[in-house]
Amino acid sequence: MNAVKNRKVLVVEDSRLIHKMYEVMLRPTTLVSAFNGREGLDKLAESQDVDFIILDINMPKMTGLEFLAQVKANPALAKIPVIIVSTEGKEEDVARGLRDGAVAYLRKPFQREDLLKIVGRIESKQSAA
Amino acid sequence: MATLRRAQQLVSDAQAAIEEVSRVVGQGSGAGPAGGAEARLAAAEIERQELVSRLAEVEHQVGRLMTLYVATYQLHATLDPVEVQSTIAEIALNLIGAEQFVLLLLDEEDKGYEVRLVHSAPETPWAQGTRYTGGDPMVDAALADGGLRFGPNEQSPALAVLPLRVQDLTVGALVILKLLSHKPALVKEDHDLLDLLGAHAASAVFASRVYSKTARKLRTLEGLIRLVNKG
Repeated sequence: MNAVKNRKVLVVEDSRLIHKMYEVMLRPTTLVSAFNGREGLDKLAESQDVDFIILDINMPKMTGLEFLAQVKANPALAKIPVIIVSTEGKEEDVARGLRDGAVAYLRKPFQREDLLKIVGRIESKQSAA
Repeated sequence: MATLRRAQQLVSDAQAAIEEVSRVVGQGSGAGPAGGAEARLAAAEIERQELVSRLAEVEHQVGRLMTLYVATYQLHATLDPVEVQSTIAEIALNLIGAEQFVLLLLDEEDKGYEVRLVHSAPETPWAQGTRYTGGDPMVDAALADGGLRFGPNEQSPALAVLPLRVQDLTVGALVILKLLSHKPALVKEDHDLLDLLGAHAASAVFASRVYSKTARKLRTLEGLIRLVNKG
């Protein structure tokens, strides 16, 4: 069940509480933390070797969807899988996130098992590739 | 953390039990008559399914404990009253799934309750001002006796009123008025989280206020001492 091992994950999220949650739930993964989309792009510029990105939508300075658009427009970053985890849970929000290039959309509040299932799917695909 | 370690131990035990069943099935299928082996195999399969289901339940419990641990950790990670308020709001939004809520806190003179945080602009009239002067019978009752209440009812639109209580002092209340559109109702896990929040948010609010008052007094005293020394 604990699928995440020796991985590097970028977390773009404005809540310190949720950063702590990922730290506990995804242990022993290495987390790179950013608190808005702008900072997320800066962190990606410093290290592009992240295995996947966990992204919130509602953030100051640059929203998650704006961040996602910039990542997908950059050929060097476009292949990094992005999981959106957000309180925006309407069907149209989910559809938009997936249409814009996210591989999965998880609504907050979320269960640890659901996050680990998504991470497991991403890792299986990456191993098969 | 001891509870988390205990939960991880339970997961390990369940995994060891699955391995033991697989080993027994491996030994059993080669020995004895074919009919007996099939029966044992069927029994082992049932046991395996039970263990898998138990393992899933244990994993779920581990996730719940992690949520409770993180909420507690974050509430006590700061002595800044504004950060404590913001953590309470983050828990309400991200972990409980509240879309509209109001945080009432006792004022500095302990004379009444202030409306300290309003999320998603509820239309409730009493949440429009800066002080709570009464008006919602469920909120009034929760503040008076310190008991958690669930609604809505004829007198109040609130889904839950959670008093923040430390010792015998109600330092405030979190009033949940609406959940996120994809969250149909508060569930058992939310009740656990509300219980935890009621106690830990109260002590975090209380501690941060005491610390900030003390720090203010200390700064004043230091200023006076500097003034005296100059004179």
